[in-house]
Amino acid sequence: MLRYLAVRAFRAAVTIALVVTFAFVVLRMSGDPAILIMGPEVPPEALAAFRRAWGLDQPIWVQYVRYFGAILNGDLGMSMRDNRPAIEMVAERIPATLALTVPALVLKLAVGIPLGVWAALHQGTGFDRAVMVAAVFGFAIPSFVLALVLVLVFSVDLGWLPSGGQGTVAHMILPVLTLGLGGAAALARFTRSAMLEVLGRPYIRTASAKGLPWAAVVRGHALPNAAIPTVTLVGFLVGSLIAGAVVVESVFSWPGVGRMLVVAVASRDLAIVQCILLLVAATMVTSNLVVDVLYGVLDPRLRHGARAAA
Amino acid sequence: MTVLPASRPVAAPRRATAPWFVRLAFGWVALVLLVALTADLIAPHPYTAMSLANRLVPPFQNLAHPLGTDELGRDVLSRLVVSVRISLLIAFGATVISAVIGTVLGFLAAHFRGWVEQAVLTLADFQAAMPFLILALSVLAFFGNALWLLVGLMGLYGWERYARVARGLAISATAQGYAAAVAQLGATPSRVYLRHILPNIASTLIVSMTLVFPEVILVESGLSFLGLGVQPPMTSLGNMVGYGRDYITRAPWIMLSPALVIVFTTLAVSVVGDWLRDRLDPTLG
Repeated sequence: MLRYLAVRAFRAAVTIALVVTFAFVVLRMSGDPAILIMGPEVPPEALAAFRRAWGLDQPIWVQYVRYFGAILNGDLGMSMRDNRPAIEMVAERIPATLALTVPALVLKLAVGIPLGVWAALHQGTGFDRAVMVAAVFGFAIPSFVLALVLVLVFSVDLGWLPSGGQGTVAHMILPVLTLGLGGAAALARFTRSAMLEVLGRPYIRTASAKGLPWAAVVRGHALPNAAIPTVTLVGFLVGSLIAGAVVVESVFSWPGVGRMLVVAVASRDLAIVQCILLLVAATMVTSNLVVDVLYGVLDPRLRHGARAAA
Repeated sequence: MTVLPASRPVAAPRRATAPWFVRLAFGWVALVLLVALTADLIAPHPYTAMSLANRLVPPFQNLAHPLGTDELGRDVLSRLVVSVRISLLIAFGATVISAVIGTVLGFLAAHFRGWVEQAVLTLADFQAAMPFLILALSVLAFFGNALWLLVGLMGLYGWERYARVARGLAISATAQGYAAAVAQLGATPSRVYLRHILPNIASTLIVSMTLVFPEVILVESGLSFLGLGVQPPMTSLGNMVGYGRDYITRAPWIMLSPALVIVFTTLAVSVVGDWLRDRLDPTLG
């Protein structure tokens, strides 16, 4: 178990290092940030001063080492446009994003998992087929289309809800619905197939054969085993709490991290983009690690020291 | 690769014909492909032609503009047809690139094992763990929005799935007799992998492609919707939805027709993909 966690933690660290390298390579090699920020007509002395101020006149490997060191110290650079620490500006936006993604996650879990389990337990019925059709549609409808259709119906036609902005609970309903419905469909489909796979296993037949009531078989044998793959997906959903709303925030003019990313990309604010990239990577990696720990709790084979197949 | 009837495992009885919705999906895919291939011929107007006298014409009212016009008087049907071509072109290009990258990396991992395999698997984990949209946005921000760059970038989407599939299948293939036999006969590794193992795992890879393809369409249309993918004056489905959103109250048809095409196309390709998977390779997740 400890060895397993150590391997996972090492992989997590490697992933973060990869993301840092990726950010460095992409953000620094793509063009001269001095010209991007200051514009091409600026006198050369001003460009040189700008490069010196941001350390852009150093050899690339020196920049890389400095960059890595700075990040290890929690210094993610200054926004090149606002001249404020990028991490501070991003941190200000996190609560707004979480205000959408956390309720949406609750919606996904509360709708998706029960639907998936119920559909699997009643495989082949009309209910099962309805869930599957809904799940396929949920996959095929991109979030921006769902968002615009909801706006068209509830804001433009019915006039019940605002089509964008922030402030009241009413402003949150459409974005949360957009995020939640699509995710719930995917989760239902995944839970259903995880559950079906478990229900086909011999130990389920054994449990029924020894006279256990069906409800007890489901509760005691099917659900805990189906939970293992589902936890992975839920971990992924938790990991995308920060970044999962890029499109939806843009549609609803919601002042969160996702919209900030789109604006920063359009205006080429290097520091903000890399800060968000690293933040997303860190959340993703952390939630994956938590999932690995949960595996240990859920799967006794891991708890008792047997090595898991990687 | 003929399969002897006797060697086929007795599985669930197969239906002689596909269910109606699968046939419908095949029909839609064929229609979309036809439109993409003949876009220049069937578009009634040039897709950038403006007609200020005919701005915001609703659909089904003017025979010259069956799907209406947008705020600059450009014909929605013509733009839709050209958008279908561009979106499919990007999705096809990207799917092929990612299948090639993934398969090659998977084969390399299976052939060399050891640290090469670990490196490929770590990269695959990294790719799977990072939300693709965030990676794509960071790259696009700093390299600009050229079409070839967009195709190349989208070509990184989903490579890790092919890599895992190809690695797993290649490892089990090398354990089977045929690969070892041709290797013993003196075939080079590239010949063993490309001429002998690849044809044997091709059906699984093709199924993976049909499952990744609709996701590529969705990601590209999302990027274009945000204004960070295909750039005007060029047009793509996501692009049309993106600017149609500004006219959602006055002219919802600008955004509805490309949105419907996106939904139907992803739906149709995934229905086809699911059906192919069930027929060809039920083991694939």
